Amino acid sequence: MRLLSELESIQASTGALTDEALKAVAERRGIPLYQLQGLRSFYPVFRETAGAAHRIQICRDGPCRLHGQAKAKALAEALDDDSRIDVEYVSCLGQCDCAPAVAIDDKHYGTLPQASDIDVLLDRPNALERPAQPLAAPLPTDPYPTQTQHYTTSREWLARPAEQVIEALEASGLQGLGGAAFPTARKWSFTRAAEGGPRSVICNADESEPGTFKDRLLLEQAPHLIIEGMLMGAAVINADTGIIYLRHEYETARQHIETALEQARAQGVLGDNARGPGLAFDIELFISPGGYILGEETALLEALEDRRGEPRHKPPFPVTAGLHGGPTLINNVETLAAVTTILARGAQWWRDQGVGDYAGLKYFSVSGDVEHPQVVCLPWGSPVTQAIAACGGMRADRDLLAFSPGGASTPFLPASAADTPMAFETLREAGSGLGTGALFVVGTGRNLADVVITQARFFRNESCGKCVPCRSGSTKGVAMAYDAVNKGGRDISQPLSELHDTLMRTSICGLGQVALLPIVDALKTFPDDPSLKALQKDNA
Amino acid sequence: MSDVTLTIDGRRVTVPEGTTIWDAAQTLGIDIPVLCHDPRLDPVGVCRVCAVDVGERTLPAACVRAVSPDMEVRTDTQEILAHRRVLTELLLADQPAVSQREQTTGDDKLYALAREVKVTDIPWPDQSERQPRGQDASSPVIAVDHQACIMCDRCVRACDDIQHNDVITRTGKGYSARIAFDLDVPMGESSCVSCGECVAVCPTGALTHQSLATTDAG
Repeated sequence: MRLLSELESIQASTGALTDEALKAVAERRGIPLYQLQGLRSFYPVFRETAGAAHRIQICRDGPCRLHGQAKAKALAEALDDDSRIDVEYVSCLGQCDCAPAVAIDDKHYGTLPQASDIDVLLDRPNALERPAQPLAAPLPTDPYPTQTQHYTTSREWLARPAEQVIEALEASGLQGLGGAAFPTARKWSFTRAAEGGPRSVICNADESEPGTFKDRLLLEQAPHLIIEGMLMGAAVINADTGIIYLRHEYETARQHIETALEQARAQGVLGDNARGPGLAFDIELFISPGGYILGEETALLEALEDRRGEPRHKPPFPVTAGLHGGPTLINNVETLAAVTTILARGAQWWRDQGVGDYAGLKYFSVSGDVEHPQVVCLPWGSPVTQAIAACGGMRADRDLLAFSPGGASTPFLPASAADTPMAFETLREAGSGLGTGALFVVGTGRNLADVVITQARFFRNESCGKCVPCRSGSTKGVAMAYDAVNKGGRDISQPLSELHDTLMRTSICGLGQVALLPIVDALKTFPDDPSLKALQKDNA
Repeated sequence: MSDVTLTIDGRRVTVPEGTTIWDAAQTLGIDIPVLCHDPRLDPVGVCRVCAVDVGERTLPAACVRAVSPDMEVRTDTQEILAHRRVLTELLLADQPAVSQREQTTGDDKLYALAREVKVTDIPWPDQSERQPRGQDASSPVIAVDHQACIMCDRCVRACDDIQHNDVITRTGKGYSARIAFDLDVPMGESSCVSCGECVAVCPTGALTHQSLATTDAG
C-alpha cells in the first residue's frame, strides 16, 4: 500500500495523524520520522489532532467570496461557541456552482447554510442545498446512447495499429484541456517513442483552480469515457499501469469512478488482457490528500511516489521520465474523455462541432455573477456572451464588468471583450487565456481590486514553498496589495510589476509564474477602475 | 559518455554530457552565485539566484540544468542581475536584525550576496512581525534561528544524505514552511546527534554553534 494511502486511511479512521500513530508507521515501515512529518505538514487533509466532532469548511476563493463573504462571516460567528463544530476557511472546493460553497465533515458539499439549519444538517448532511446541474448523462460528447454500448470504441480501435490512433487525434486538432493546450497527438507520440519503464497512464483529475469544476461533471456523469480514453492511451504507449489522481473533495465522482472501474473489470475491459491477449492494463483510483499544487503534473508524480508534492525541475518531462522514472502519459479528464469521443465519432465529426474553423466541443465551468452558475457544453469558438447566456444571463441587478475566461491564472478582460471566441489563441490575443475553460463572471458594482487580490491570495495560499520567488514573492506581493488597499499611501504598481517579472521568470512551476499576474494585469487592463486606484496612486 | 560543446557568456566550452551549467561555468572561471547549492550536495535549485538565460520562456537554475549541445547561456544580463537582486532582497527582508553567522564566523552567504548585488533599500515588506518564525535554543550545541532560515534545504540534505542521521525535514507549506526535527520537536529533544554537519553547510545564521557564553548563561 502506498504510504500516503496508508496515512489517509489512518486519518479517515481516527480523525488525525498523531505522533503516536506516525511513530507506529515509522517502526512498521522502517522509515525515519522526519519523512512522516514532512508529509503530515504538507497535505491539508492531514491533522495532528482530531478536533471537534464535526467540521464545516467554507470556501474563501473567487466566486464563493463574491457571493458569500458576509454570509460566511455570519455563519462562522454564529458557530464560534459551538464546541461540536470546527469552522475553517479553505481554498476552492470545486463547487463553484454552489457558491458560497461549504463542506460538512469532508464528505458533503453544497451551498453555505443558515446557522439555524445547522442542527438539521449535522443529522442529515445530505440535505445540504445544491443547485441542479442541467447537464446529465448521456453528456453531449458521450457517443453511447446506452450503457451496454460502453467500450465498443476501444474494442474496435485496439485491433488497429497505434499509429492510427495518433493520426486520428492529430486530425481532430485536440489539445490538452487542463489548460496547457499541448497537442494531444504529439504528447502521445512522444510518450510512445520514449524508451524504458515502468510505463504509466495518469488521468489528472485534480482540477483545483478557483472557478474550475467541469471535470467533476465528466467524472460523475461519464467515467467510462475517461477509462476508455486511458485504455487507448495505455495501448498507444504500451503501459500496464493506470492511475486516476482525484481531488479528495470529489466524493460523488469517487463513488461513480469506483463503480465504473468495477464494471470495466467485470467486462474484461480492464485486467490481464485489457490491451489484447496477455497485455494487461488496470487503473488505480488515488485520492489526493489535498492542495492545488498537486494538479501540477510533476508535483502529482511526487505525491504518487509518497513525497511532499513539490514540483520537479523540467526537463526531464514526464513523457520521458515521469512516474518512477519511466515514460508517463498524463492527461486531463476532459482530454481523455474527448479521445473516446473522437475515436468513436471520427475526427471529422469532432472538427464539425466547432464554430467555423474551431474544432470540437468544450465544457466550460461558469461561475460568478450569472443567474445559474453551471457547467455548459458549447462549440469551440463560441463567444463568451454565449456562455453567459447559457447560464441564464447576468444576475438581475448587474451588468457585465469583467470576466476571467480560464481560471485564476487567466487575467480579467473588460466587458468590451465579451464577443471574443472562446479558444486558446483568440483569448491569448485578447490578453488573457482559455486556461481550463473556467469562466468567472464579475458584474458591475463589484470591487474588482478585492476580486483580483483574492485570486493572487489563492496562489499565495497554495504555494508549496519550495522556491524563493513563489514562497516569499507571492506573500510579499499580496501583503503589499492589502496594505495599499487598507492603509494607502503608496503606489505599488511599479514594484509589484517588477516583483511579478521575477516570479514569472524564475519560479520553478506555473503557480509562482502566475501568482501575482491577476493584480499586475488588472492594473494595466482597468486603469480607471475606482477600486484599483487605491493600488496605483499615492493616496496618503 | 560523450562531450557537449556550448557557449557561456560568449565563451565556448566543452564538458562531459550531463554536466550542469553551473559546473560548466566554473571550468571557465565564471562564478554564478548560489545560496542553496553546495557541490557536495545534490542540487535542488530552489533559491533561484543562479537562474540563467538559455533562451527559454523561464530562467532555469544553473545548478540543476544539464548542458545541451550548442546551448547559449547568459549569466550576466541586466535582467538576470535584476532578478538576482530582487531574490536577495526578498530573503533579506525577513532576516533578523543581526546575523549570528556574520557576527561569529563572518561568512553569512546571504549578506555576502547582498553586498555583491549591491542591495541598498529593500522595497518589500518585512514579514517577520506578521508571521514570526521563532528560535529554538533547546540543543546545547546548535542554535536554531528559524527567522534567518532561507529554506535552502542544505541542512536537510546534509543530515539525511551525507550523514544519514535522518533528522531534518521541511515542514509545513508555502510561506510558513520551515525546517523541523523528527516529528517537529525541539532540536534538543530530537534524535539529533549534534554532528554539526548542518551548521557547517548552513549559509545563513539559521544554524550556528551555541556560544559557550550563551550556554552558560542558559
